[in-house]
Amino acid sequence: MLKPTNVSLYLKATSQVVSNNIKPLHPNVVITKKLVTPTPQLSLTSFTLSKTLPLGNVRVISGPAVSTQVRWAHTDINVPDWSQYRRDSVKSSVAKSSESEDSRKNFTYLIAGAGTVTAAYAAKAVVTQFVSSMSASADVLALAKIEIKLAEIPEGKSVTFKWRGKPLFIRHRAADEIATEQAVPVSSLRDPQHDNDRVQRPEWLVVIGVCTHLGCVPIANAGDFGGYYCPCHGSHYDASGRIRKGPAPLNLEVPFYEFPDETTLVVG
Amino acid sequence: MAGLSSTIYNSVFKRTSTFALACVGAVFFFERSFDLTSELLFDKINEGKLWKHIKHNYEK
Repeated sequence: MLKPTNVSLYLKATSQVVSNNIKPLHPNVVITKKLVTPTPQLSLTSFTLSKTLPLGNVRVISGPAVSTQVRWAHTDINVPDWSQYRRDSVKSSVAKSSESEDSRKNFTYLIAGAGTVTAAYAAKAVVTQFVSSMSASADVLALAKIEIKLAEIPEGKSVTFKWRGKPLFIRHRAADEIATEQAVPVSSLRDPQHDNDRVQRPEWLVVIGVCTHLGCVPIANAGDFGGYYCPCHGSHYDASGRIRKGPAPLNLEVPFYEFPDETTLVVG
Repeated sequence: MAGLSSTIYNSVFKRTSTFALACVGAVFFFERSFDLTSELLFDKINEGKLWKHIKHNYEK
């Protein structure tokens, strides 16, 4: 209770307090324990020298390493029952832990191993998914190859197919065409290639129908050399798909193809 | 029983090399069985809805 009469006790420089048997008398004299330090002795003899040595129980009584708080935890806290968390084989206080050591470790490592296996499986699945997303999709793969029945193409005719979004010319060449193309001297060509290097079988010419000049589609059986003629800028190709006249710099491209049997051609 | 677990511990789990090898070997079988099981489960849940279940109606 703060009252002016109470506070005035503390504000006064000197006080004379008379006990009135209601309030306890404030002690006006505080007796502090006097710190006694041993007076250093003059080390004159071995005896007085030995007196300066710290003998007996040397202890650190202050500093950061010294606990300043003592709590008697065992007096007010009940130790919880941990037995649900403990392995059955070592619950008993008389059981030897070394006897069940291997089986307990086996269990721990088995859990770790199961986690490893699952993680490896998941990692592999993720990596496979990302890598396979870089490969060609199914619709691209479906268009990647084209199979052609050769019996449907009569001799002397050039047929156009669509392959990978581009026109594909397949020409069934007659014997006189083959003879003409093979007789062309290679040195006279702009893009020197012998006819034998451009066909696998002399009677079948397989070329991509894109003009090497600016990418128009040439017309079959037209032009000065009886092969292909590009109407855009007047490039003349012969019956081997080689550039003979006009602005195009290169021969018509020959794709990869093979003959699985006598009557089929597979391009791609 | 203790003999068996000791044998397993000493031959597989004690060394990291054998432990890793066991994991790699186990993941091989785990992957195969997990994939087959999930595939089987998927087919069972989608019974009658997949192309392979109705294929015979449209192809001869």
